[in-house]
Amino acid sequence: MILNRRTFGAISLAALAAAAGTPAFAAEPIRIGAVNPYSGAMAQYGDEVTRGFEMAAAWINGQGGVLGRQVEIVRGNATSAQEAIAAVEQLVGRDKVDILVGTYVSAMSNAASEAAMNYDKLFWETNALARTLTDRQLPNYARSGPSSNEFALRSVQGALELVAPRLGKTAADLSVWIEHEDSAYGTSIMEEQLRLFKEAGLVPTGVGAHSARAIDVTDSILRAKTANPDVWISTGYVGDTNLLLRAARDQGFAPKAIILLGVGDTQETLDALGPEFLEGVLLVSYARPDVNEAYGPGSDAFLAAYRTAYGRDPIAPQGMNAYVGLKILFEAIAAAGSTDYAAVIEAARKIDKPMNTYEAGYGVSFDDNMQNVRALPVIAQWQSGKVTPVYPAEAAAAGTAIVNLPRG
Amino acid sequence: MTELVNILAVGLLLGGIYALVSVGLNLIFGVIRIVNFAQGEFVMLGMYGAFAAQITLRLDPYVATVLVGPALFALGAFVYWVILRPLQGQPMMQVFATFGLLMILENTVLALTGGTAYSVNSGLTGYSVSFGPIQIGLPRVLVLTAATVVTLALGWYLKSTMHGKAIRAVAQDRNAARLMGVDVERIYMVSFGIGAALAGLAGCLLSPLYTMSPQIGMNFIMPAFAVVVLGGLGSVKGAYFGGLIVGLTEALAGFYLDPALKQAVLFLMFIIVLVVRPSGLFGTAGAEEVGLREQS
Repeated sequence: MILNRRTFGAISLAALAAAAGTPAFAAEPIRIGAVNPYSGAMAQYGDEVTRGFEMAAAWINGQGGVLGRQVEIVRGNATSAQEAIAAVEQLVGRDKVDILVGTYVSAMSNAASEAAMNYDKLFWETNALARTLTDRQLPNYARSGPSSNEFALRSVQGALELVAPRLGKTAADLSVWIEHEDSAYGTSIMEEQLRLFKEAGLVPTGVGAHSARAIDVTDSILRAKTANPDVWISTGYVGDTNLLLRAARDQGFAPKAIILLGVGDTQETLDALGPEFLEGVLLVSYARPDVNEAYGPGSDAFLAAYRTAYGRDPIAPQGMNAYVGLKILFEAIAAAGSTDYAAVIEAARKIDKPMNTYEAGYGVSFDDNMQNVRALPVIAQWQSGKVTPVYPAEAAAAGTAIVNLPRG
Repeated sequence: MTELVNILAVGLLLGGIYALVSVGLNLIFGVIRIVNFAQGEFVMLGMYGAFAAQITLRLDPYVATVLVGPALFALGAFVYWVILRPLQGQPMMQVFATFGLLMILENTVLALTGGTAYSVNSGLTGYSVSFGPIQIGLPRVLVLTAATVVTLALGWYLKSTMHGKAIRAVAQDRNAARLMGVDVERIYMVSFGIGAALAGLAGCLLSPLYTMSPQIGMNFIMPAFAVVVLGGLGSVKGAYFGGLIVGLTEALAGFYLDPALKQAVLFLMFIIVLVVRPSGLFGTAGAEEVGLREQS
């Protein structure tokens, strides 16, 4: 072959392309599809969860990635279960993701994980709460964060361990009213609360259900007021919870303790009710970045990184829960040596980390249904217009005291 | 006994909310024969208008009504002229158009707010008035008072002013009214504007009671339909008393049966009234048919 200028040029270009292409192929990122609502009513929380994913990806990429590959988060927008299926199809088909993660909404998690199963993809859940998600025993599904049962557990612990002693009452003497929104979310938590209270020898004074879309919930408050409970525990969404609290204020319903589950810890509730009314209200919630560093090692660094990235404090604690969830996923992928769902699930099953290993205070131990049983929410309290962790004691900052309990 | 009186008071105050939301809806139906699905979104816009007035001008939501009401009137008149007037003679298309408007308004506010829920506070927020053992939030008393005043004022306006008489004439027979020299299109536009302004007024007065979300209008519109059917399609008085009846029904069912069942009880009553007395308690017999009958 005569090596003329044209042939030389062609060979040189091919060599350059090969040289550039080979490392690029080797460093093909692990693509993770994040299914969440990025539009619609739940957009700000879907965004916040995915910010947690993106921060975890940035963190692991700074460590050199997983299996020598960088991690890339690809967003898939879904505002309903049906859209979640379409989002999975798009993420797998068009964006070629290796793994799917999510979600802010249990119904979406349910649909998206089944769609992921059709493509043999892992669906790693961090935030959706419904217990039934893991009870399905879907082979591609694991949940790193707490389920609704753990939220119910913490609320019962709050009533029995925080409130009862301060009222000088035993568990059996305590009167409790359980209020819940009437969908599967609120109902499942209420059922677990009833079971746990029964185990503790306490029969709640009453149980009330309301629609999250109700125009008025004064009737629910009057029913509870008539029962005159020591503790009023409520599970709902932002709008109905604020409406219940406003009705309680207007009707002069003043239980000695109020415990809210899942909501009530954001600026939206502070704006609606004001710091004076909220003073002392207990909140069962994901651990916040201001949790005691000894309880959630790395939480201070997470908060600093968040502020650097977004120029403000987190909107809600869901982001740090998502961040921790992805860190656990990276460990499982590293242990599995691949992104194959069966291998990752098997590797995750073998991880054994004590409580207080991660920023949110979690450890890792998956049960037979692939629910991480070492992921628990904390109890926080409104104190002077700020949400402060108070339970378990080690989650609270040094010198933190419980205030306004019983409510004055 | 105190318990019953208390729950009756709660029901009446809730009825005031329903009445205030439904009066405009029923006026629009009575005159233009359009079931306006976007009426709840006008209420929502009124709420966000009160919020905007508070953060920009530091106005109390009750004071903001003087800005929000006219703004919603202008929006309503514009919507009628640009969207609904071209569909005149196609009542089903007009209904679909209001549904489309609902989606546009809801999603536009959603895009602007990013789904963040906001609250508006008034100087009266948190104040209660006590009647013996009964405690009532002052903002709710104001809503019931406003609903009563609006109903009386609207009734007087329709009965005693030339423009009101023209509206009633169009509501009774648009063709005869046109032959008498009434500018029917203008009456439609003004009526739709008044309906929207009443929704805006309701939004301002309700804003201290609720945490706002772009979807909140939908929460109001479903019971409002029950109110207008119960009270009588096209009747302002019917909307008022229908609202009170629906409020009382919900409160009594919610307290004495189960809050989770109150909507079921309400819509059971809705169906019974539809079957037994289609014109409602104060409606004109045949109004429910006229609403779907093509008039050109």
